[in-house]
Amino acid sequence: MHRYSFILTRPLQFLPVVFGVSLITFILVRLIPGDPARVLLGARATPTAIANIRAQYGLDEPLWLQYFYFLRNLLHGEMGTSIVYKIDVLRLIATRIEPTLALVVASVVLSILIAVPLAALAARHQGRPIDHVIRIVSTFGIGFPPFWLGLMLIILLAVTVPIFPVSGYGDTLFQKLAHLFLPALTIALSLSTVLLRSLRAAMVDWLKSDVATAARARGVPESVVFWRHVLPNSIAPSINLLAVNIGWLIGGTVVIESIFALPGMGQLLVRAIFSRDYMVVQGVAMVFACATVMVNFLADIATVAADPRVKL
Amino acid sequence: MSATPAPDPLLSVRDLTVTVRGEAGERTLIDGVSLDLAKGEILGLVGESGSGKSLLCRALVRLLPSRALAIAGGSVRLAGRELTTASTAEMEAVRGGAIGMIFQNPSSHLDPVMRVGDQISEGVIFHRKLDRVAARAEAVAIMEQVGFTDPARQYSNYPHEFSGGMRQRAMIAVALACDPDILIADEPTTALDVTIQAQILRLLMELRERRGLSIILITHDLGVVAQTCDRIAVMRQGGVVETGAKRQILTSPQHPYTRALIASHPSMPVDYEASEVDDQASQADQAQPFAPAPTPPLAPRPLVEIDDLQVRYPVGGGVFTRRRFFSALAGVSLQIMPGETVGIVGESGSGKSTLARAMLGLSPISDGHVTFDGDSLRLTPAATLARMRREAAMVFQDPFNSLNPRFTIGETLAEVLRVHGKVAPSAIPARVEELLRLVELDPALAVRRPRQLSGGQCQRAGIARALAVDPRLIVADECVAALDVTIQAQIVDLFRRLVATMDLTLVFIAHDLAIVRHLCQRVVVMHHGRIVEEGPCAEVFARPREAYTAALIAAIPDIDPDRRLLMPPASVLSS
Repeated sequence: MHRYSFILTRPLQFLPVVFGVSLITFILVRLIPGDPARVLLGARATPTAIANIRAQYGLDEPLWLQYFYFLRNLLHGEMGTSIVYKIDVLRLIATRIEPTLALVVASVVLSILIAVPLAALAARHQGRPIDHVIRIVSTFGIGFPPFWLGLMLIILLAVTVPIFPVSGYGDTLFQKLAHLFLPALTIALSLSTVLLRSLRAAMVDWLKSDVATAARARGVPESVVFWRHVLPNSIAPSINLLAVNIGWLIGGTVVIESIFALPGMGQLLVRAIFSRDYMVVQGVAMVFACATVMVNFLADIATVAADPRVKL
Repeated sequence: MSATPAPDPLLSVRDLTVTVRGEAGERTLIDGVSLDLAKGEILGLVGESGSGKSLLCRALVRLLPSRALAIAGGSVRLAGRELTTASTAEMEAVRGGAIGMIFQNPSSHLDPVMRVGDQISEGVIFHRKLDRVAARAEAVAIMEQVGFTDPARQYSNYPHEFSGGMRQRAMIAVALACDPDILIADEPTTALDVTIQAQILRLLMELRERRGLSIILITHDLGVVAQTCDRIAVMRQGGVVETGAKRQILTSPQHPYTRALIASHPSMPVDYEASEVDDQASQADQAQPFAPAPTPPLAPRPLVEIDDLQVRYPVGGGVFTRRRFFSALAGVSLQIMPGETVGIVGESGSGKSTLARAMLGLSPISDGHVTFDGDSLRLTPAATLARMRREAAMVFQDPFNSLNPRFTIGETLAEVLRVHGKVAPSAIPARVEELLRLVELDPALAVRRPRQLSGGQCQRAGIARALAVDPRLIVADECVAALDVTIQAQIVDLFRRLVATMDLTLVFIAHDLAIVRHLCQRVVVMHHGRIVEEGPCAEVFARPREAYTAALIAAIPDIDPDRRLLMPPASVLSS
């Protein structure tokens, strides 16, 4: 069997996962107290008007039948119509997905750019002052909550020294990147610390490993020992750690998007919850869940690529 | 091949001292070692683990394993050039370029995520400044020299795709790629099967002939030394206790430690008088010579009866593909009589350990029967397993990892006694002490944890744990493989005494045929999950019927240098 053949078979295992997610989100959304029709029409709505809205969106049907419709629509690639925005949920999500996706990618790239060089520096100077400094600073990164860190970055880099925009999202690519930098940095500062610690620990081990000794014994210079032997071997265990954290990050964008007023899916989700917009909450939750599954799938592919011994 | 060092040695070590800085001040690890290595000479460096053999060789190329270690004095001269004061750049040129190293464990020393060929050409690029294409061609040529059958294709394979023997060949290719004058081989065959060991040793000697290579061969096996080396240096506690020509050391050793080492070698006739090592952990050294256990009268019913036993493991396959199976045991039938001592030998992967585990109900049986004293594991699994746990015990290969590191030895033994309830709780301490005496351990050691004991002491504790259930059957799976040769001899003696004095049936699994020949009455030879030959030890070793058994026996390096290491025919090994 080819090492990469799981790429073809694995997606079949996603089906039960997606089914489970759809069931859980459907039930949980309906456990939130409150009625979308009442939220939509306000406190002084007549019972008839409320009943009309409920009938219009199928909310008066029994729960199992609602779920059945939800599933049936899902199979047709539809997620229903937003009660608040009055448009198709999928189209609504499509307009909001770009900022969120860009934010996640930018944060991950940024945290790798921060973590790898610092981990390398710390590992190669293990036990020396620079190692201690990097480790202490990275402890702060774990300690500070992202919402606080985000506000501090806004004060520092957007208000006091106005280099970056305070909030919002732009139209041109340059504007977008400028607007993404601070939120991405906020996430990267916490994400990179986790990555840094795991990478540094792996690098320290591999620097002491037989592989490194054998490379030195054949006259390979120390820097080449590091970049050609220690680094490639240290990456594999961090891939899954990164994947788990990206999964957490996808949900975490809710907070960051609110702070920086990014018009992404996180923001959409928060508003949908407040207005009991069931269809939108379900749709966004489904997209988040599928994205998490995809990230783990990509991590598996990356692991197989990084370590020729791994078979999935 | 001269017996005396050449007047102008290639490598000359004088009073080399290595110290370690610790909390308790400085300790000397290598204590004023002086050695000479002539061109084309093979020097055997012999000693037990912890004697400083490996450290000495690391010190030669200044690759000390920790920053706390330092060369405190002495000189290392390579062709007249001082290495202890050379710059880092100069040392990088020496490492690989002048002195190549191969290591005991090729699996851990080869980079798992880099193609084998790239690791070979890596050194070529640095030392000979060749470009990638030329380095690749050079690497392929070297791979062919060390016995790769299809080097152009195998260049692109990863280490895990090779067998242990091929990995060691790759390691040798890495070391040879930069055309060094000296090869330091640190236990190059210890992790390998005897037949593969014979091939690798043969390869090293061929390379010496062809390239005029000087080799420092580190080993704990005097048989290996006797078969390959010109001179021997015996190391102990960081110092060289004796140096000399091979024959001189082997026939008339001067130092008592050398004599003990030679006496412990399992291919020699058992001779206990020479075991005068002063600081060994126990009294086993002053042991009286023991007659081989008398053959017990044939009991009507075998204690263990194995009938057409098959164990298969699923390999690969998944939800959508057909499952494939690997047959670890492909139909094994064996009877073990009460009181018998049976040795099971074979190369790694032959199914020895699987058989041992299946015999005690520790691995699932795919087909066939295991009967313990009349109870079938197949028909009445629960009852038979319960009996087995009470009447049979196992001793494991790794003495440290098979003991709970958080338990003291006394607690480990007490736990067994408590679980089985054969001894009243109040009598447990006394029984623990009795067990420790039985395995010749000082009862005062009962309060120690495994980490505070030596490997030999741990293995004795492991045996005591097995004896705690008062078993009728003990299965020992490679239980001396991880131990030094003098300790090995002590443990084998202990087993011999236990079998002689107690009513014990012993199944002793080993890849080392010499040990089995000394301990067991009957031997079972396994190959590819099948029994290829079985019979009384003396007979099988003297007149093997099967070509495979003969090849296995011929591959044991004998301590007598005149009994040449025979190269088993390749057809037998690849079968």
